Amino acid sequence: MNCPICKEPMIILELNRVEIDYCPVCSGIWLDEGELELLYSIDNTESELKKLFRESSDSKEKSFKCPVCRKKMIKIRFNNTELIIDKCPVNHGLWFNKGELEKVLSAKTNQSSQKVLSLLKEMFSYNKSQEAE
Amino acid sequence: MIYFIIFLAVIVLIILFFVSIYNALIRLRNQVKNAWAQIDVQLKRRHDLIPNLIETVKGYMTHERQIMENITKYRSQAMNAQTVGEKAQAESLLSGALGQLRVQVENYPDLKANQNFLALQEELTATENKISFARQNYNDQVLMYNNKIQMFPSNIVAGMFNFKEEEFFEIKDVAEKEVPKVSFN
Amino acid sequence: MWELIQSNRRKSLILFFGMGALLILIGYVFGSYYDPEAGGVVGVFFAIVLWVILSALSYFAGSKILLAVSGAKEVTKDVHPQLYNVVEEMKIAAGVPFFPKIYIIDDPAPNAFATGVKPENSAIAVTSGLLSTLNRYELQGVVAHEMSHIVNRDILLMTFAGVMLGVITIMSDIFFRGMYFGGGSRYRSRSSSKSSGQAQVIVMILAIILAILGPVLAQLFYFAISRKREYLADASAARLTRYPEGLANALEKIANSTHKLRSANKVTAPMYIVNPLKREGMKLADLTSTHPPISERIKILRALQQGVSYNDYQRVFEMIHGKKEKIIPDSVLKESIAVTPVIGLTNEDKDFNPIEARREANDAVMKLNDYNFINCKCGVKIKIPPDYNKPIVVCPRCGTRHQLR
Ligand SMILES: [Zn+2]
Ligand SMILES: [Zn+2]
Ligand SMILES: [Zn+2]
Repeated sequence: MNCPICKEPMIILELNRVEIDYCPVCSGIWLDEGELELLYSIDNTESELKKLFRESSDSKEKSFKCPVCRKKMIKIRFNNTELIIDKCPVNHGLWFNKGELEKVLSAKTNQSSQKVLSLLKEMFSYNKSQEAE
Repeated sequence: MIYFIIFLAVIVLIILFFVSIYNALIRLRNQVKNAWAQIDVQLKRRHDLIPNLIETVKGYMTHERQIMENITKYRSQAMNAQTVGEKAQAESLLSGALGQLRVQVENYPDLKANQNFLALQEELTATENKISFARQNYNDQVLMYNNKIQMFPSNIVAGMFNFKEEEFFEIKDVAEKEVPKVSFN
Repeated sequence: MWELIQSNRRKSLILFFGMGALLILIGYVFGSYYDPEAGGVVGVFFAIVLWVILSALSYFAGSKILLAVSGAKEVTKDVHPQLYNVVEEMKIAAGVPFFPKIYIIDDPAPNAFATGVKPENSAIAVTSGLLSTLNRYELQGVVAHEMSHIVNRDILLMTFAGVMLGVITIMSDIFFRGMYFGGGSRYRSRSSSKSSGQAQVIVMILAIILAILGPVLAQLFYFAISRKREYLADASAARLTRYPEGLANALEKIANSTHKLRSANKVTAPMYIVNPLKREGMKLADLTSTHPPISERIKILRALQQGVSYNDYQRVFEMIHGKKEKIIPDSVLKESIAVTPVIGLTNEDKDFNPIEARREANDAVMKLNDYNFINCKCGVKIKIPPDYNKPIVVCPRCGTRHQLR
């Protein structure tokens, strides 16, 4: 699978049974729909994470193509903040640009989705420490 | 003359019959031997896995020194065993200690997430299974061989050529001694 | 077991000549349809040539063809260690000297089959869907069933029947296509007399009937000898694993799966442990079904409470089937020894985690597709696609720089 932004092949990272696609060039992250389902089943909280996202049609950001089906991804708003991320129109998954995940991670959310987010935080601990320097 | 030929034919037939029984006995005895060799291979494989296992587990497990020492001890006992009885004894103690370790692993989520440990655990599970399947096959072969030795007319041939009954291989496993759980769903 | 192997060799021979006769008949009728004077002989000639070539082909490459058609890829131990280990466990349980090659089919529908001419070059193929849905005991049951097909020499027969079935299906396909494009009409207009016109009509009707019935007949023919060996392989699997519940659960999971096996077709369907074409045209499938009803197989396995020997299976089969029928050959029953099932086991495989099983199956498919796997010492598993072209990859968790080949 290729990064929707730089078109380079993405690598796959797995930690504690969770798998994500990661672009080593732009540090963007692709969360596959099947993977999101797995995340829910770990938490036993159906679509808690999903609820945090609302569609936003007023975004002027450039849109990218879904790496799975190549359809134009739609912009969604995270938890009523200014943060906009990309989502495949036929639900293949979510795309986070560099730093976007960071912001999602630092947002205050309810506990069950926090568990999922903290796992993602753990997976990128080195990247974050590099950015802090 | 004609009686002599009939007599000769009968003798030849009897000899052929006995030869076929003899061959069957030889085949069964070889199968028993092969089955035994297979158990040995798998027991050795388990011995080979243990140092690696201890090395991986050591960093995580802090309260299980005793279990780990036992595993190492029984392993060397099993490797140095002189008789089949000694070997079976040490191997069953080893199985028990490994079982204890397995139970304790549940308390270490970090260890359970370690890829190297997971790979080792799969190997260990598989080796335990292979030991028990090899034993199962060995005992089946021994049963068939012993049946043949006891039954008429093969018992005559067995007596003539000194085929001796083989012993079953029983590991008195600590885990197997537990009350069996039967599910009815 | 030896007598069983011999009798299977005999059946392979019967199948070989039976299928050949059917092919020659079809060749004659189809040929006559296209050219009433010389066509029959030409048709027979082509049928014989085809029969010889395909027999040789199926003997020397049949299993390779069937594996390739099914999209199966050979795997080494590191692709899916558990599958490899389970195959070895069943090899040891069966006490046989050969080690079948292991194949994985990338398909979410759970299923499995065995193929090969001799045990020494046999193969067991399972789908990735099977690996992601079954726990270890269930996988043992399925692999034991396939191993039994290999040990009993069923695979030669199955491979052979599969290829023959394919040929007959293809021939009738070609015939229908030829008819569609009006192949025979050219010659028919040439015949002048009324009686030869009538004969022409009869040949045509016969050809059409054969083209329709040929594949069905071939399947029925195969069914006649395959039904018993499915039961026998179940019985052997129960005996090898000492745990019939594992196979029973596996069969249940496979039958209840909503996925449809993509690569399965009429030719390869009979080889699988559960017929993958079960949902298409139920009526016809019942008539030509190559497998005994799955519910009955499960019921028998679940009823093996006291013992799992061949004698026990025969007894339970008659009890559930409701009438006397020899399902296990006498030669096998004669050698049957008492075997008790393991009762200490529940089907709870403590190490089984459905998420992990799915992950491992996915990993296996990635490894088949030449992904490079790195286990970083920090615990992150990095999976690198074959088109990744940079010399290093940096772990985002601990910062380790991994050198790539
Ligand atoms: Zn990128
Ligand atoms: Zn898409
Ligand atoms: Zn790392």
